[in-house]
Amino acid sequence: MTRWFEDITVNEPHALGSHTFSEEEMIRFSNKYDNQYYHTDPELAPHSHFGGLIASGWHTACVGHRYMVDFLFEVERQLLDAGEKPGISGPSPGINSMSFTTPVRDGDTVSYEMTITSKRKSASVPGWGLLIVQIKATNQRGELVYTQESAGFSKLRDFKPTLKMRFMEWAIKQPLLRKFLTKR
Amino acid sequence: MTNPVTKNYAHFEDLFVDQKIDLGATKVTKEMIFEFATEFDPFPFHLDEEAANASLLGGLSASGWHTGAIALAMLLENLPSKLATAGGVGFTNLKWKRPVMVNDTIGGTVTISEMRRVKSRPEWGLITLDFDIRNQKDQQVMTMSLKNLVDVRNPAAPIGEALK
Repeated sequence: MTRWFEDITVNEPHALGSHTFSEEEMIRFSNKYDNQYYHTDPELAPHSHFGGLIASGWHTACVGHRYMVDFLFEVERQLLDAGEKPGISGPSPGINSMSFTTPVRDGDTVSYEMTITSKRKSASVPGWGLLIVQIKATNQRGELVYTQESAGFSKLRDFKPTLKMRFMEWAIKQPLLRKFLTKR
Repeated sequence: MTNPVTKNYAHFEDLFVDQKIDLGATKVTKEMIFEFATEFDPFPFHLDEEAANASLLGGLSASGWHTGAIALAMLLENLPSKLATAGGVGFTNLKWKRPVMVNDTIGGTVTISEMRRVKSRPEWGLITLDFDIRNQKDQQVMTMSLKNLVDVRNPAAPIGEALK
């Protein structure tokens, strides 16, 4: 899925899409994961300094993640349609920083934008590159909702694995050998 | 003006640096993984058991965002008393160290590593919460430092320097 490491352009913003938050979905998320009265109780929330119900910041970030995943699938589809072989995006080692700046309220529409701000070949994982990914979320008034900087792996197209690596890649797919190799 | 909702909740003054909160234990089931991933992280290795078994991880794993959300829920559930929070400011250094696999039980601790009053807003204190999330084998699966505002019970009290 997505482009190969070599084809990824730095500092090019990608619009991921917009999401309108309803009170119902905000409360549903927060009842499960962020149960605080200004996220879950429309009657008590006005007593908070927010003056009303707001979305959990974690919720707004999870929705942003969903839009990024959908974007990656869309790029993959476009590459397949063009007869090309899509690249491979790997797991994310983490998020360097996240800052929540404007609360999200019932009916707010949040637009998400992703920019790869840097890329380099990974020193520790041969065959993979490391991307620094920035996500910016903005509401319908142009106010910044959050900014996030994360790291992500992306596979190199122009990489010739050594014989040992190719053997390991094959071996890890064999159930018995995998059991032996991944024994902790 | 006292907030009637939080007047009996713990405030900034009730917390202390190095305070540790034990998060208890949550078993991460297939149903939980599917439900979260369907809405927020629809990669095949979070959604399809067969595809996951054939992948390098060798099994179904939870979305990293899900692990974080569960950790947040466990913190709120395991606070010694309800806390008069005034919102999250953000977090730094979130690291997904290991995947959380289906039927893993996660737990761990949250430690208050730093506390200070907010100079421009005497009614608030800013606390840093260090998450150390582990699986049933005591292996670290996730860490992060979350910054959160907490109401000060007595905003008229002098604002000292950082408590740590």
